[in-house]
Amino acid sequence: MLKIENLHATIDGREVLKGLTLEMKAGEVHAIMGPNGSGKSTLSYVLAGRAGYEITAGTITFMGQDITEMVPEERAALGLFLAFQYPVEIPGVTTTTFLRTAVNAVRKARGESEMGPADFLKMQKKKITELGMDAEMLKRGVNVGFSGGEKKRNEVLQLSMLQPKLAILDETDSGLDIDALKVVSDGVNTLRAADRSFLIITHYQRLLNYIKPDVVHVLAKGKIQRTGGPELALELEEKGYADFIDEAA
Amino acid sequence: MNTAVAKNFKPAQTVMAEALPWLSAKASLAQDKAPAWIKALRETGAESFAATGLPTPAWEGWQYTNLRPLTDGTFHYSADAVSVPANLPAPLLADSYRIVLVNGQLQTGLSQLPAGVMLTPLMDAQGAEEELATVGDLAATPLVALNTAYMRDGFVLDVARGKDIDKPIEILYWHQPTAAGDAPAIYPRCLIRVAENSGLTVLERHIGQGAAFTNMYEGIVLEPAARLRFYRFIDETADACHFSHTMVRSQKSSVFEGFSGVSTLRTGRQDVRLQLLDAGISSSISGIYMLNGQQSHDFSILADHFEPDGMSEQHFKGVIDDQARAIFQGKIHVHRPAQKTDGYQSHHALLLSDKAEACAKPELEIYADDVKCSHGATAGMLDTSALFYMQSRGIPEKQARALLILSFLSQTLERVSDEPVRELYRARVTSWLDALQGA
Repeated sequence: MLKIENLHATIDGREVLKGLTLEMKAGEVHAIMGPNGSGKSTLSYVLAGRAGYEITAGTITFMGQDITEMVPEERAALGLFLAFQYPVEIPGVTTTTFLRTAVNAVRKARGESEMGPADFLKMQKKKITELGMDAEMLKRGVNVGFSGGEKKRNEVLQLSMLQPKLAILDETDSGLDIDALKVVSDGVNTLRAADRSFLIITHYQRLLNYIKPDVVHVLAKGKIQRTGGPELALELEEKGYADFIDEAA
Repeated sequence: MNTAVAKNFKPAQTVMAEALPWLSAKASLAQDKAPAWIKALRETGAESFAATGLPTPAWEGWQYTNLRPLTDGTFHYSADAVSVPANLPAPLLADSYRIVLVNGQLQTGLSQLPAGVMLTPLMDAQGAEEELATVGDLAATPLVALNTAYMRDGFVLDVARGKDIDKPIEILYWHQPTAAGDAPAIYPRCLIRVAENSGLTVLERHIGQGAAFTNMYEGIVLEPAARLRFYRFIDETADACHFSHTMVRSQKSSVFEGFSGVSTLRTGRQDVRLQLLDAGISSSISGIYMLNGQQSHDFSILADHFEPDGMSEQHFKGVIDDQARAIFQGKIHVHRPAQKTDGYQSHHALLLSDKAEACAKPELEIYADDVKCSHGATAGMLDTSALFYMQSRGIPEKQARALLILSFLSQTLERVSDEPVRELYRARVTSWLDALQGA
């Protein structure tokens, strides 16, 4: 489903990813943990195709296709989804309009028929009820005036509406209190499926108490330094990242 | 506007050679049946324009306005009656009244108006002399002087006292080449008077065929407690030059809601003067523009507060692509007696290309001490984070850009209180964006 080989990426001429290799199978949940500045967010942006992040070597294969030259919307149509660490505010575009435009754009790109307003609203209503979201939020500008928790819920709402094959959660736990964390994790857990994978990028082990990973990777200095099972996360929580920073140095 | 020039101006001493071609067709009006007061005004206008010529970039307030298409182009005034095309554009709204002007000439037979509204051709206007003649300092406003020199076409529209006109009146300004095939110079002078405690909605629509130079003067008089919603659509042709000077004189407790949408033209400028002549007046002028190619447009606004408890607003937003240029010059002038004035002004431009230009000159001049006034002007590019966010959700870049632009302009569209009219503006934005995506 996702295969990253020897990935090198630069931003503003500075190399941040220095030969990252990673493979995920369908249905798996992988966690990438690492200290600040290790390249975690860069990895998420490179995977999603953000302008300004240049791949200088290596390949990313997703759903059997090399996506390194694809624009973000093409990757989204293939089934890649990035839940942002800092969801962007878009004043003047209501959440409903945004969601409907996105859902139909993806459907169109996949050769499916666009969803009519009635069907769409029905689906949207079901999803927001599941996530315990206030329907009022849908009428507001995307993320405008949302609290940190509301923004993250909105990310999960988009995730559940777009039904991707791979969801990358970039520091989804940052800025969340324990209740919001639980709601967001429950939302993610209900979306786990045999044909859907999750890549959870996080600094802390906390989120992994709620979303159990199959595999844990340690990212430091632009490379995967170590790979293990869920117990690796606990070990990191206890010892911190000092070993890896030293090891890599 | 240009006080320095006005102060030092001595009309009898100078005649500018480049002004004369603009006045050469005036002879064709010499023998017409205009009343004496109009003939006298024409002479005053011609004399003033001969002395100043068109404004140059050296004039205060004219540094940015693109007047080159006027000096390069050849526009001909024709006094001959126009032939009215069989297929004029259908009205914007399915249900509205109508006034039609072709090359500035009023087509009385094509107008449809309700009871309570009276339409009078300019040449027959009686009892409106003062309002039609009081246009400010001609030396400081050469285009108004030029309009005055050709004063003949136009109308006076009166709404009787205590009437709420049930449907909007669309005033269609259609331009077309002259019988000789020339690009016309058009000089309408119009006056809209809404009597005490009456209400009216006007859609003023400028549209046409081929090149044209429209130079209009429009007076608006709102009597006490009158309400006017005044919506202008400038959607002419790629070779059209549109210059208009609108003077809104508001009396006690009246409400003026002005809005202007600019899309297709070559170059243009809308001067709007809001005069708040008594207490408790609300007067606003807002607008949107969408410019590309070599287009240029200038909104020059003055809100003049003379008396207390007034509220004026000026809110503009626009999108500029390619090498187009947008200008906003807005001023709020609060005279000493105008205590408890609220005056707001904003201009926000979205630049879609590196060569697009936005010039903004916000000004406040305040002599009263108990007022609330604000102004804000920004120019920026599309938010790349928002673009990436939308693309990452599968929305193609062009569509994401269009959605962001529409949402940017939508906030200003909300100022149009008439919903069907707001939708007309929104539809124009959408069609402009579709063309942009297709390009």
